[in-house]
Amino acid sequence: MPLSIETTDLGKSYGAVRAVEHLSLRVAEGEIYAFLGLNGAGKTTTIRMLLGMIKPTTGHATVLGTRVRLGSRQPWSEVGYLVEIPHSYPELTVRENLEVARRLHPGTEPAAVDRIIERLGLAAYADRRSGQLSQGNAQRLGLARSLLHNPRLLFLDEPANGLDPAGIVEIRELLLELTRQRGVTVFMSSHILAEVARLAGRVGIIHEGRLLRELNIDELERERRRRLVLRVRDTGAARQALLGAGQSVQLLPDGALELANASSIERPDEINRLLAQAAVPPVYLAVEEEDLEQYFLRLVGMDGAGGEALR
Amino acid sequence: MNDLRNLLWIEQRKALRSRMVLWTLLASMLAPFGVGFLIWVSKNPEISQKLGLVGAKANLVALAGVDWASYASLFGQVIGAGGFFLAIFVISWLFGREFSDGTLKDLLAVPVPRSLILLAKFIVMAVWSALLTLAIFAAGMLVGVLLKLPGGTLNALLHGAAITAAAGLMVILVVMPFALFASMGRGYLLPIALALVALLFANLVLVLGRGEFYPWAIPMIYAEGKTPLPPASYVIVLLTGLLGWFATDYWWHHADQSR
Repeated sequence: MPLSIETTDLGKSYGAVRAVEHLSLRVAEGEIYAFLGLNGAGKTTTIRMLLGMIKPTTGHATVLGTRVRLGSRQPWSEVGYLVEIPHSYPELTVRENLEVARRLHPGTEPAAVDRIIERLGLAAYADRRSGQLSQGNAQRLGLARSLLHNPRLLFLDEPANGLDPAGIVEIRELLLELTRQRGVTVFMSSHILAEVARLAGRVGIIHEGRLLRELNIDELERERRRRLVLRVRDTGAARQALLGAGQSVQLLPDGALELANASSIERPDEINRLLAQAAVPPVYLAVEEEDLEQYFLRLVGMDGAGGEALR
Repeated sequence: MNDLRNLLWIEQRKALRSRMVLWTLLASMLAPFGVGFLIWVSKNPEISQKLGLVGAKANLVALAGVDWASYASLFGQVIGAGGFFLAIFVISWLFGREFSDGTLKDLLAVPVPRSLILLAKFIVMAVWSALLTLAIFAAGMLVGVLLKLPGGTLNALLHGAAITAAAGLMVILVVMPFALFASMGRGYLLPIALALVALLFANLVLVLGRGEFYPWAIPMIYAEGKTPLPPASYVIVLLTGLLGWFATDYWWHHADQSR
């Protein structure tokens, strides 16, 4: 499959600080690739290097088959982007800001401005100065600017920023439609994992400038840890009963007990029976799946691993 | 050519919509009306007494004898010093606002050359500054008519206009390096601070008698017309402009843009 983005050993240092290092990515045409990381992980630096705004200290990047160079004209006619906060000229109206963007992309027809205003739901604000827009509408204007010239590749840095829940759904559907119907490639960065899970086909996890993992969204689902959580009235007695039955138990900070071994997750009814027989029947018993945030924090080693191992 | 036309449209629209053109125009009017006021007061000593301007009496007496020839030439000096600051303001705004408003990033990964974006900005700066020069001179002439100055001839007017225009052109050239300072400083502060330093230094070199080789003193010396400038002065002014342009272009092509 042809690649839209390819980086080889891409890195950027600022003096002794390594913002990004040894980054080798492959993003196929037509896929939605999510770049996940905490604030300061190196997501924006990477996007800026891919857009030719920052010169890498090591390696190189190829975007739509063109080697990216600082200050070059290619391949930007087919690339749309939204980097960090979407700034616009505050004294110009929404329509004028988009007209500026249109004129920066020669060959884009004048009608494209009205079309994108309509598509992004900005019609009511078209003649309002952009300095008076709410954060959500400023974000919409930024997205409109990135989509105006029908790009083949979109770089979106935190696209859901500032949008209300309805706006998030709307933009998600728009991006899915662009990829499915027009084969647009989307490279997005985010720290909102639930949003990424609904949208992306593949995820790259970056931490402290390094790519920790790269996985398909179904792999990510599989890798999420499951556990059996139970609450009892007498924790000590329950713990004794479970230990006596050869179970490995962990006491969680909130007083619940956690069993992480496969047999207890597969047969919670057995655990229930065992505790009932020991006269400490559970008042709560559930197989819980690690949520994406916990998975992510575990992966980057920031899960705080609360709990006291009992065995 | 089409790209340049588009970029010029963008720059003029941003400038006209910002009201900055209006503000600089209003600021520029301080000079002709200020000078006119002083001449009016000097011609009417009773007003000068009423206003308590006794300390300034000697200067005012000098102004009382102003005729059209010296009055029209005065505007070259106004452009050399006051016009310099207006042009600094214009260029700092045109370049620095992209950084302070965070709009720079949208000019970077686009299919038009960065050199052309800069060229459009320099052209708008030159046209804007030239229009301010014209406005200052035209308002000055109007004030001259209102003051009924003696000795009004076409020659005196044309001579004053030529000096003002040449001083205006020199100012446009010598402020061009400040586009680089606005870019490097990522805003307005650095170019305005450096302009103050450049003017302070200009006073120093003028005292030392070497102003003809210092680009930010040359327009003032030229407009004063007391000492003829050597050809090297004109070359220095031209080189300052070209160097400012090329250095800004180089910086925009090679510096990391992380804002």
